[in-house]
Amino acid sequence: MSDCILEIKGLTKIFGGLTAINNIDLNVTRGSITAVIGPNGAGKTTLFNIIAGVIPPDKGEIIFNGKRLNGTSPPERVKLGIARTFQHVLLFKDMTVLENIMAGRHSRTGSGFLSSGLRLPAMRREEDEIALDAAHYLNLVGQGRYGSQMASEIPLGQQKLAAIGRALASEPKLLLLDESGAGLNALEKRGLSDLIKRIRDMGITIILVEHDMELVMGTSDRVIVLDYGEKIAEGTPSEIQKNRRVISAYLGEDGEPA
Amino acid sequence: MKFSRLRLGKILAIGLGLSVIAAIPWVFNPYYTSVAIVIGINTIITVGLCLLMGYTGQVSLGQAAFYGMGAYISAILSRRLGLSPWLAMGVAATVTGAFAYIIGRPVLRLRGNYLAMATLGLGIIIYIVFREADWLTEGQRGIVSIPYLSIGSFAFDTDRKYYYLVWFFTLLVLIVSQNIVSSRTGRALRSIRDSEMAAESIGINVPELKVKVFALSAVYASIAGSLYAHYLTYVSPQPFDFLFSVHLLLMAVVGGLASIWGAIFGTTAISFLGDALHGFGDLESIVFGFILMAIIIFMPRGLWVHLLMAYRDRREKAGKVRP
Amino acid sequence: MAVSQFIQYFVSGITQGSVYALVALGFTVIYSVTGIINFAQGESVMLGGMLAYFYFHTLSLALPFACLLSVLSVTFSGLLLERLAISSSKRASVVSLIIITIGASMFIRGIAGELWGKDPLPLPAFSGEKPILFLGAAIQPQTIWVLAVTLIFMLLFQLLLSRTLLGKALRACALNRRAAGIVGINVRAMSLLSFAMAAALGAIGGIVIAPLTLTSYDIGVMLGLKGFVAAAMGGLSNQTGAVAGGFALGILEALGAGYISSAYKDAIALLLFFLFLLVRARSLTSPEQEK
Repeated sequence: MSDCILEIKGLTKIFGGLTAINNIDLNVTRGSITAVIGPNGAGKTTLFNIIAGVIPPDKGEIIFNGKRLNGTSPPERVKLGIARTFQHVLLFKDMTVLENIMAGRHSRTGSGFLSSGLRLPAMRREEDEIALDAAHYLNLVGQGRYGSQMASEIPLGQQKLAAIGRALASEPKLLLLDESGAGLNALEKRGLSDLIKRIRDMGITIILVEHDMELVMGTSDRVIVLDYGEKIAEGTPSEIQKNRRVISAYLGEDGEPA
Repeated sequence: MKFSRLRLGKILAIGLGLSVIAAIPWVFNPYYTSVAIVIGINTIITVGLCLLMGYTGQVSLGQAAFYGMGAYISAILSRRLGLSPWLAMGVAATVTGAFAYIIGRPVLRLRGNYLAMATLGLGIIIYIVFREADWLTEGQRGIVSIPYLSIGSFAFDTDRKYYYLVWFFTLLVLIVSQNIVSSRTGRALRSIRDSEMAAESIGINVPELKVKVFALSAVYASIAGSLYAHYLTYVSPQPFDFLFSVHLLLMAVVGGLASIWGAIFGTTAISFLGDALHGFGDLESIVFGFILMAIIIFMPRGLWVHLLMAYRDRREKAGKVRP
Repeated sequence: MAVSQFIQYFVSGITQGSVYALVALGFTVIYSVTGIINFAQGESVMLGGMLAYFYFHTLSLALPFACLLSVLSVTFSGLLLERLAISSSKRASVVSLIIITIGASMFIRGIAGELWGKDPLPLPAFSGEKPILFLGAAIQPQTIWVLAVTLIFMLLFQLLLSRTLLGKALRACALNRRAAGIVGINVRAMSLLSFAMAAALGAIGGIVIAPLTLTSYDIGVMLGLKGFVAAAMGGLSNQTGAVAGGFALGILEALGAGYISSAYKDAIALLLFFLFLLVRARSLTSPEQEK
């Protein structure tokens, strides 16, 4: 099924006594923007961690582009085309923003110790390419003016965008965005929504975990709702908004806390 | 903008540094030449340790073992089997590096404490082998009459000649290391240091890279060991014990754990300090132990790095923007 | 003949194993309460014997009193170590803490060497040196002391942990430091206490074995390493495991040295350690995410 870029079957993850993910099935269409929402503790980030390969599932399988992912490590998945951002940003503090994105090119480049140590011509050519490519992604996410600033010194909203740039630098086919909207003001969120759509237009499939309902509804094609580790609803944004189970799961919550 | 102020300043600094290094055997009395040779050799090991500790956050308490392996393999191959000393050095570096790579794979997966102890244990086991395996290493007696390194008929048989040979290697190692740090690999290493999880998320194979750096540090130590063997023309087990590994640790810490050039500073400082304290019995242990604690507590990134940062802060305050 | 030789080795192994067990116990105490591996742990054994010698020989105090004073002094040094070195680096990385304790061990060793020189020093046996004959093997009475004292203090320690409020507090810290703090346990005090106890245990071991193996300024390193090996094999937070590991190590070492080769004696412990690491590697790997 080349239409379905990510297939999750029967996924289960248990931490000690807590069932974080309970028998979840999921299909993500190529080129779509899918949002995963749910109350705190519903298992959203755990789901991301499993897809990214950071945590192994206890049961179930994940098929990406027709390939079974079980047992592959996070770096291997990056090579296959899955990239992710983190809730806590995790930009490399001791590097500039540009260097962060250059680091993101790691999986698509190959100079090793020997060629780097001796600064062979091939390595120097590759370094130039890396810098150029990184600048391209830097501008793509709108961080052009922050390129030479230390990553820890730019505002949080910009850091999140830079992190997306770093993830994009690995040329993913699937991008997992974990709470990219958290901590952003309304204007920044609008910009983020546009960016996400532009990324989709580049041919990249996106899954986002989000708390901000406006961002979710305005950006995604499809919404999946988790609660206590189970999928309780799935559909278009407007369908989900009217879904009674979803509403009761949130107990009236309609967005992220101020 | 080829000749910006900064660039010119850098070139001048490098030129000055090289001139100073070149002049040492001629300006100072011969004793200092031999001290400088030892400093050069130790710096090579220290750089490897700095890379390992500063960039991957792994501690190794067994570098002396790799140093010893380099020395003994060079000695055995060139003395017993008559191999060319250069070839012996190459073989030693390869064997030691491969050994570190193989051992490193399981060992580097361990949590910090286990890793430290594992390297400590490894170092001691290898030291015991040096001391006891008479058939191989001549045990406590050591191996004598190790041939000199030579190019054609020109033999490196005096301190003055050896000084340039050693510092050639030292500078080579420093430059190669600096190149690595400012490359794709260097970025990957810095990523690992900052956040292993984020590093993995951009496709960096963290365990593999850690093992490679470990192996690299072993190769450096081995080269240093070979240079040592062909300098003294005699190797015995004694210099390759745990105490020396701790001294190396001290040199790295004083120099700055992630600072390549700081390694020269750290090695020089500790070497001179060690020399000065030598006649005073256990004062060396007391002072070194104290310094080790003090620096890590108050200046965890190393003395040199802290001085650099302080200097840079002062320049910023004086109006010079960050370069 | 073979039996008596075996007994000889075995007894020697148990005796040395007692010291390993005490050191290992010290490691687990500190580790479980603070998460720190104290590289200077072996030095407490050294200091115990050295100070006992000093108090007895140089200050001419009565032997029991000298021993007691030694234990107290070493305990105090343990407190000092915790205070000076460890608490000032609460936010420090594992590597930093390791280096600090290495520095401390070097520092202590240097002072000991400076004050008392490099020669091994004797302490008189507690109840004479007339060997006891057992199945053909000659056993020093001091050996009995070592075993008895070790077992008694271990029992006391175990009782402390399981029966007293203090012990409960310690165990709480071991299980979850933050939760313990929230519940009102003074985690800082517990940290101090763990260092003090580990130092005391080490000192006791050092005193009790000094008459047999002599004490000298540099026995700390190997003891510390082997004690760690024993603790690691038994499970770093597992007291019984550490003790069992210590005894096992001592016995294996003695048997190996006796039957195979005594030159490689030290290597035996380390090789065992490596084997253990390779076998148990999975469960000792670094988990990146901390809850």
